[in-house]
Amino acid sequence: MLLMIIALIGVLIIALVIVIKSADVFVDSIVEIGGALGISQIILGVTASAIGTSLPEFGSAVVASLTGSTDLGVGTVIGSNIWNIAGILGISAAVAGVIQTNKAGLTRDWLMTLITGLILLFFMLFGDISWPAAAVMIIAYCFYLWILIKAQKKHSNETSHQDESQEKQLKENSNLEEDLEKKSEERGSKNVSKKTYLYVLLGLAGLIVGCRLLVYSADELGGMFGISDMVMGLFVLAVGTSIPELVVTLSSAMKGLHDLSLGTVLGSNTFNILIGIGIPALLLNVPVDRISLTFDAPVMIFVTLLLMALIKMGKGKLNRWGGIVLMITYMAYAIIRIFILS
Amino acid sequence: MYEKILVATMGEYMDPIIEHTLDIIQERETEVIGIYVVETSVPFLTPKKVKEMMVTELTAKGEEILDSMKQEFQSPKHYMIKFRGVMREGSPADEIVKVAEDEGVDLIVLGTGKNIVDKRLLGSVSEKVVHSAPCTILLVRTS
Repeated sequence: MLLMIIALIGVLIIALVIVIKSADVFVDSIVEIGGALGISQIILGVTASAIGTSLPEFGSAVVASLTGSTDLGVGTVIGSNIWNIAGILGISAAVAGVIQTNKAGLTRDWLMTLITGLILLFFMLFGDISWPAAAVMIIAYCFYLWILIKAQKKHSNETSHQDESQEKQLKENSNLEEDLEKKSEERGSKNVSKKTYLYVLLGLAGLIVGCRLLVYSADELGGMFGISDMVMGLFVLAVGTSIPELVVTLSSAMKGLHDLSLGTVLGSNTFNILIGIGIPALLLNVPVDRISLTFDAPVMIFVTLLLMALIKMGKGKLNRWGGIVLMITYMAYAIIRIFILS
Repeated sequence: MYEKILVATMGEYMDPIIEHTLDIIQERETEVIGIYVVETSVPFLTPKKVKEMMVTELTAKGEEILDSMKQEFQSPKHYMIKFRGVMREGSPADEIVKVAEDEGVDLIVLGTGKNIVDKRLLGSVSEKVVHSAPCTILLVRTS
């Protein structure tokens, strides 16, 4: 029995690494192919950063739903969203000392995260989440992606104007000229090797196999300890599949890249619900657990509101104390959910 | 006394660092090298595209910082200063020391002011530079 538990935990960890690495390879290769096909770098960049860190949650949710463990899938998505804000942003703000915000970006991404949470809660009120809800969710995500691409295009236009005037000033410097030549050469090379296509297949295969192993080990471990699929999804898979968000949010907060830090979490939360639940719901009815409706989803919306309240209290910044409040909130949620409500 | 000075900043507390450097230089002819290091290290499992995005953003930030340093040091008021900006990639402390050695600077100016919690959690570039710098260091207290 003990050996089996150790083996399953080992499988869970290895599967997580496979899933995260495969998602990285997959997104990377798709972006390369997209670039060669002439798709705008802006569209590719925005989509890759929005989807990149969330593929593990999405893959797990889809595989869990298709293999009959829908609770595990929904749990992973809702659990990830609570962990992303209360856990990851909490830890990042506590470690980095402060996460600054950009008002326009924050309002857009936070509002979308909140609306997404409310959309999910609304459809949960009607029982199972089925295809009409899925269609609304997927359309809502496309709309959000369109807003993101528009914002990025505007930003790129502004910076390219600045770059042009800077280039004029600095062209006297010969080193810079060499750099610019190098960059334009890089831009020019648009050939995609067969290796890239192979990487897409490998990434996809890794994602499918990794997610299957992940769901299997979580399911088995839950069964052995008498823990429900929902709780395994909410805590084990949610935290595990959110490792990319954790490393990106924490390291960008420590490097002072505040927009990336907050954007990663909020963008991921929107993707997790609209696509992580939307796609499985398009394929089959996703059942709604009563506690999810009355506790998990409201907590998810509560931490989204709490985040904004803490940023407002910090005069536009999420400071260390705000981070600690978020972490305490997560711990309180975990204790209540695991020991009282299960 | 100091003919070649290396001024390091990550963008924070730039004003006091520049102010102290100018105070030391006064009316002498001096070469000032401004350095910004793009920290490229990322944790394991960071997506490649995100790492590229971080480097791009940090490079743009570094260019902005070096540009504003240039404006401060090369104003008509400070005609005796010859300013040059240097951007490197890698570990900030290591690169600052390496540039100081390669350029043979007489003085490194950098800021310090993290509280004990920040020092423990984030580490301190100035502490690392102090241990291996090849020349005199001026640590400007920034808070």
